Amino acid sequence: MSVIARRAGAAVRTCAAGFGALVLTVAAACGEPPGGGGGTAGLADDPRFVWALTGADRQIHEAVARLWNEENPDRRVDIFFLAPTADEQRQALFQDLQSQAGGFDVLGLDVIWTGEFANFGYLESLEEFRPRIEGTSLAGAVDSAQWREELYALPYSSNGALLYYRTDLIDEPPTTWEELYETGTEAAGKAGVSAYVGQGDRYEGFVVNFLELYWSAGGELFDDAQEYSTFLEGDAAETALDFMTEAYETGFYAEGFDSMVEDDARALFQAGEAVYMRNWPYAVPLLEGEGSAVAGDFAVAPLPTFTGEGTTSALGGLNNAVSSLSDTPKLAREFVLWAATDPEAQAILADSSLPPTLTSAYDDVDDPRLELLGEVLAQAHARPPVPGYNALSLAIQDNLHPAYIGQENPAAALEDVDQAADAALEQE
Amino acid sequence: MTTTTNVRMRQGLGERAMGWVFLTPSFAFMAVIALFPVLYAIGISLYRIRGFRREPVGLDNYLRVLSDSGFYNAVGNTLVFTVTSVALEFAIGMAFALIMHQAFVGRGLTRAVILVPWVIPTAVAAQVWRYMFDRNPGFVNAVLGTDINWLRDPTWTMVAIISADVWKTAPFVALLLLAGLQTIPKDYYEAAKVDGAGAVQRFSHITLPLLRPAIVVALLFRTVDALRMFDFAYVFAGYSNSVATLSVYAQRFLVADPKPGYANALSTVTFVVVMLVGLAFISRMGRHMVGDVARKERR
Repeated sequence: MSVIARRAGAAVRTCAAGFGALVLTVAAACGEPPGGGGGTAGLADDPRFVWALTGADRQIHEAVARLWNEENPDRRVDIFFLAPTADEQRQALFQDLQSQAGGFDVLGLDVIWTGEFANFGYLESLEEFRPRIEGTSLAGAVDSAQWREELYALPYSSNGALLYYRTDLIDEPPTTWEELYETGTEAAGKAGVSAYVGQGDRYEGFVVNFLELYWSAGGELFDDAQEYSTFLEGDAAETALDFMTEAYETGFYAEGFDSMVEDDARALFQAGEAVYMRNWPYAVPLLEGEGSAVAGDFAVAPLPTFTGEGTTSALGGLNNAVSSLSDTPKLAREFVLWAATDPEAQAILADSSLPPTLTSAYDDVDDPRLELLGEVLAQAHARPPVPGYNALSLAIQDNLHPAYIGQENPAAALEDVDQAADAALEQE
Repeated sequence: MTTTTNVRMRQGLGERAMGWVFLTPSFAFMAVIALFPVLYAIGISLYRIRGFRREPVGLDNYLRVLSDSGFYNAVGNTLVFTVTSVALEFAIGMAFALIMHQAFVGRGLTRAVILVPWVIPTAVAAQVWRYMFDRNPGFVNAVLGTDINWLRDPTWTMVAIISADVWKTAPFVALLLLAGLQTIPKDYYEAAKVDGAGAVQRFSHITLPLLRPAIVVALLFRTVDALRMFDFAYVFAGYSNSVATLSVYAQRFLVADPKPGYANALSTVTFVVVMLVGLAFISRMGRHMVGDVARKERR
């Protein structure tokens, strides 16, 4: 609430000027790291460098930093926790960099920011580390860390989507989207509940839900070198949009799907109101917990595809990058590599059920869900981290959201997204 | 410097000059607070900024604004919102003011109740309204017995935003008009009654003309405020083009798709539009007021 209050409270003119004024203020504050809700973790009295990353999952990241500090007592790291929401993290990082304050050495970046930050000149190239992570880190995570075939970040943590289903209503999880549609409709009719909940609101979550359908129909947004849009090649875009349109029209998607975010879906599924749910792994403990109507009556499976082969999930998570303003670039590079490849560090993530990116971390885990997640993540797709990813995401939201709820011509909407995809590549 | 020496010379400054001396610190303060950010924003709008690359591009950002369909879309949304919401707020505010002006039992309570929406912070009110309009749990739909997709159908979203804004600011208009009503001497009404004027005639021949200054102020405030509306549009529909106002559209290029040069060009254009409308109000409708006051002073 305070976020919005803060944002909305200022008139835009003030905002616009505020951007400049803030930059000045921050610069004047002698490199004091910016950020509203953040603060350093105080892990080291005399830290040699600072790692800035999301304020979510604090304890896990602190444990990783503590491990580094134990192993490197004379080169200790401190963490600067940013706000837990992605937009605010991005803004705080921008402010630190754009103002030349340079308070952060290692930047924890959402997987979709690589291209933008690299294109802005904020990041050091980490191409030299490619041999160290290729083959040992999740392929999708490596994809998400590069822009124009050059590495600008190294993988750290990951995340993938799962299909939650009701074991009391469905015997076997479906392998194709058609099967999901049919079994879901039938079971929903019998049980008098909704068939499917997921993320259908006009935001990044919708983009992810759409892309999972799109990828599983064989689509790719860009050519390999990320030089032009291939959004409309083949019929993947139409197939995906048609599926969503039909699912919305026929009521396969639950009432209110078009304004549903992660936790809306989770709440409905938890109340026993849906047969299927697409969601991140965070929902598992909540659904098993007290007060859940479906505890013991649900299971998770990989998301289906159109062909019935494999699975596709959008990849979430964090990559670590080295700020081009860092005073200790060598140390920062070493830390980034360590966080990506050290088995102990990655095991901390696995033990705390934050999916690691080191593939060997999945080898001998007892947790069957983490094992399943390892399978899913091995086949997961990175959203292309091109410089204009945010603009592209907004274009997908602006065009395809109205299209699937029947307010815009689908063909024109897809055409507009294709143009936005080309524009997202432009390097000004 | 000369002013201080003058003071020391005990010749005494004219009242007007002293007035200027006392006002100077306030003006200087205002210039720093209000003028500097505006000028700074205009300065930034002359650059193209992408990360660490910054190149002066002259008026290029402004030319791009003029050929940007998203900008015209935002202008359209802003105009629809402003005209509709200000008209409704004025009509409802006037009705509230007339009610509150009447002497009846429970007048104080009525005034307090009518003013409650105005006291709630806009961002909070927007969140609450958003929740009520949402299909889940569907409060508004349940009350109206409808099945409308308030938050995701652009036309209905605009209706929802306007209703919420009218709810929020009609009391403000009412408050301003009430203050105006209370300055009208009762004698006029009594005299009119004696002369046999009906309620409608009294309203149109006494209330409206004498309320004119208050009406102008209320309309000016509301119009200028509505032109730069951000809260409701952002909370209801995010950066979506469907109902994006000028302010939301500028914010989009500041945060979501960062092009600070372009964002500042957009906000400068918004600023100019708002200022022109404000000046138009003051010069067209306000001249009479200023004239009235001046004439009275002369007498």
